[in-house]
This record gives sequence, C-alpha cells and structure tokens, in this order.
Amino acid sequence: MIVNTVGFETLVRREIVRTFSIINQVIWPPVIQTLLYVFVFGLALGSRIQNVQGVSYAQFLIPGLIMLQVIDQTYSESSSSVFQGRFMNSIQELLIAPLSAIEIVLGYVVAGVVRAVFIALLITVLGIVFVHTAPTNWWLYLLTIVLVAVLFSSLGIVFGLLAEKFDHIAVLTTFFITPLVFVGGVFTSMAFLPPVVQKISLVNPMFHMIDAFRYSYTSRGDEPLAVALTVVVVLAAAAFTIALRMTAAGVKLRA
Amino acid sequence: MSIPALKIDGLVKRYGDFTAVDGISFEVAEGAFFGLLGPNGAGKTTTINAIVGLAKITAGSIALFGHDVERDWRIARRQVGLAPQEYNFDRYLNIRDVLIFQAGYYGIKGAAVARRADMLLERFGLSSKAKQEYTKLSGGMKRRLTLARALIHEPRLVILDEPTAGVDVELRLELWSLLRELNTNGTTIILTTHYLEEAEELCDRIGIIQSGKLIALEETQHLIGDGSLQDIFLELTRR
Repeated sequence: MIVNTVGFETLVRREIVRTFSIINQVIWPPVIQTLLYVFVFGLALGSRIQNVQGVSYAQFLIPGLIMLQVIDQTYSESSSSVFQGRFMNSIQELLIAPLSAIEIVLGYVVAGVVRAVFIALLITVLGIVFVHTAPTNWWLYLLTIVLVAVLFSSLGIVFGLLAEKFDHIAVLTTFFITPLVFVGGVFTSMAFLPPVVQKISLVNPMFHMIDAFRYSYTSRGDEPLAVALTVVVVLAAAAFTIALRMTAAGVKLRA
Repeated sequence: MSIPALKIDGLVKRYGDFTAVDGISFEVAEGAFFGLLGPNGAGKTTTINAIVGLAKITAGSIALFGHDVERDWRIARRQVGLAPQEYNFDRYLNIRDVLIFQAGYYGIKGAAVARRADMLLERFGLSSKAKQEYTKLSGGMKRRLTLARALIHEPRLVILDEPTAGVDVELRLELWSLLRELNTNGTTIILTTHYLEEAEELCDRIGIIQSGKLIALEETQHLIGDGSLQDIFLELTRR
C-alpha cells in the first residue's frame, strides 16, 4: 500500500512542522477556548446542575470539549494545508514526486491524527488539573480520537481540493460542523432534551462521535457504544475513500 | 541505439474544447541540451507539465529513459527534476529544509541528503541563507534555489521552465555557466526560454512549438544556418 515510506514520513513531518510553526493559531486557541468553556459553563453555571450521567457537569463537559477541538483542528489542518498548497502551488512538490494518492492522503491524515492526539492530551491534562476527571478507558479514548481525526482530516482534504478561495473552507465549519457539534451533545445529555429532539439527534453524526468518546470517560452514553462506534467507522471510511478517489483522479490538482 | 532521455509520441492535451498540445512527437537524447521554444500559449508549459505528471495526457505517450510516465510513473518521476518558472517553495520550511524535504518526497533521506543539500547551497551561493525562509531571498537567490531543489534527488534529466526570466545579466551569465557545467557532467537538460540568444548559446538542439504543434526540430546550428535564431523563430512562428 505504501511503497515510498520515506516520502510518506516526510509529508507527515512537514505537516507537523507546519502545525508547530503556527502554534498561536493551532495549539493555544483550543486550550484557551476549553479553559473558558470549563470556567463559564462548567464551574460557574454548572454548579446549578446536580449531575449528568453520574458525574458533575464540568466533568461531563470535558469529553465533549475535547471532541469539539479534535473535529475543528483536524478539519482545519488538512483543509488549510491542501488549499494553501494549491493556492501557492507548493503542492506541486508532492505531485511531481514519486508519491501515490494513498501516500499523499495518508500523509495528511496521519498528521491530522498526530495534531488531534496532541491537542486532546493537552485538554485532557486541563481536565485532570481543573475538573479532576480523566479517561477510564484509554484504548477507547485513543480509538475514538483516531477515527474522528481520520474522518475530519479526510473531509478537510476534500474541501481543500474543492475550495476556490479560503472563504469556501469556512463554509463547512460555519454552517455544518460548529452547529452540529454544539447540538450534538457537547453541552447536554440527550436525556435532558424533548423526545422529538432526541430522535432528530440520531441523524446528527456529531452526536455519535461525542457519545462514543464520552464512554471513555464515564463508561456511559445515550446510545449503545457499538452503535456510536459503527457510525463513526462508516463515516470515517466513507470520507477517506472520497478524499483518496479525488486525489487519485487529480481533482483540482492535475490539469 | 541508446534509450532516449525523453521520448514523446503523439502527445495530445485538451482542456475541454481547447487543444493545448496537438499530437507532437520528438526525442531528446541522453546528455543533450535541448531547447523547447515557442510564443506565449504555444503549449511549452503544458508539454512540460505532461512530462512531470502535473497534466493528464489526453492521448499519446511520454517515456523518460524508457519508462512510461503513466505506467511506470514512480520510476519515471525519479529520473526528472523540474525547475518551474514560478516560485512555489514551501513557506513553512527554511531553504535548507526545502531541499531536504524535497529529497524526502523522492524517498531519499539521511546524512547523504544533508551533505548534498549543503553542497548545493554552497554551489549556488546560498549557504549563508540556509536557515532563512525563501521569502527573505532576493529574486536571483530564489532562481538559484529553484535549480538547487530540482537537483537535490540527482535526476538524470532536468527541465528548466524559463530559468532566467526576470534576472539581471550578471545572474543570467552565472546561471548559464551552472547549466553548462551540469550538462557537461552528464545531466540531460530541457530548457524553455523566451530569450532566443540563451537558447542559441546553450542548446545543441531546438524544437519550436506553435499552437500546440511542433513546427521545427533541428540541431541548433542547422536550424540557424547563416542567420540568427531570432530571424528563424519569427519566420516560422509568423507563418
């Protein structure tokens, strides 16, 4: 599958160099945002809520906030990198090299996973320090982050390829990702919502991701873990396949 | 007969209804210094893009040292280095890393690559700027970096798309000297340029494209005869 392993590793390393060269855009904002959410919603307003799924509201919030940042950061990573590469033509360095479509797509995706795990761990530490909560199932914690990172890195590649200007990349974030994440269970359990809204939530993909991830902290969720994970796996596989096919076909890459 | 460095056979490239390259065929022998000339929009850059894999081929075939660029693309791409007309460096890397990462994409890493990068930076007078981003370089330095990057993986064929566009006379002469040295050491070179005296000075064989068709393909001296390349070029392209 990967023949040019050095080329693939080089692309992953390049993306990580890029991430850490814009640290004020990609590392500190999620950390500061999470701290603000924890203090305002978790510790201030949350003190009025008894408990959710057997934990304090602040502890309930942490897994949702991690997912929020994992989704946002992985999409931003690959979409902006691919688009910028196209815009500046620097992506031609990859296109003329002996790198296959799968090596290129996996390069961006793996870099997205690395960025996601790094940011998730930072926020996890904040959760341990400020809210005294930590994952109880680290394997599930890691698995869910990897799957969600694969999904949104792949979507980032797709939109990075399709976009004609930077503004287009923001369309998915503004109109789909952010609203769906916010109503997908970051701030509240489905059990608190009216039955009709609960049913609607089932078609919100973010709900399944957040619910699967919350299992790694609370060992509970609003739906069976197998259902939540299956949805995430299917979506990640579909997004990866689309990104791969578009790259292999040279969509907006090779004239 | 030895395998040519480049063999183009009936290359056609269409963008929708527009035919950018219309069935051109030619060969470039290994070790040659070949000039690909033509007016703006003639199809030179499209041909180059098809050779290096940036443009999909509509019809025909291209082989580099006997390796088809579509079927044996991995091997074919290892044979060629491209110095594009525009500066398309990675803005997140310093210029030494631009070279090292480019080698990485070609599957090469380790101390040997670092040494080659340092050697190229030295050869092209860029050593003092090794840790700087390319945006800090002068136009002439960027041109030299483009060439250094094309050479980092030791290609047997280097394609230079207007390598001296916008550079002063001094740098142009310096680049000519570098290119001659490269060619003397066995690297096959394909050059596109709008400076006809450059092609006349450097190239041992010239192909002229107009409206996607190859309208001349001759040894430089044979093509020019007693005249000048400029006269011949204008005569051919104004027909």
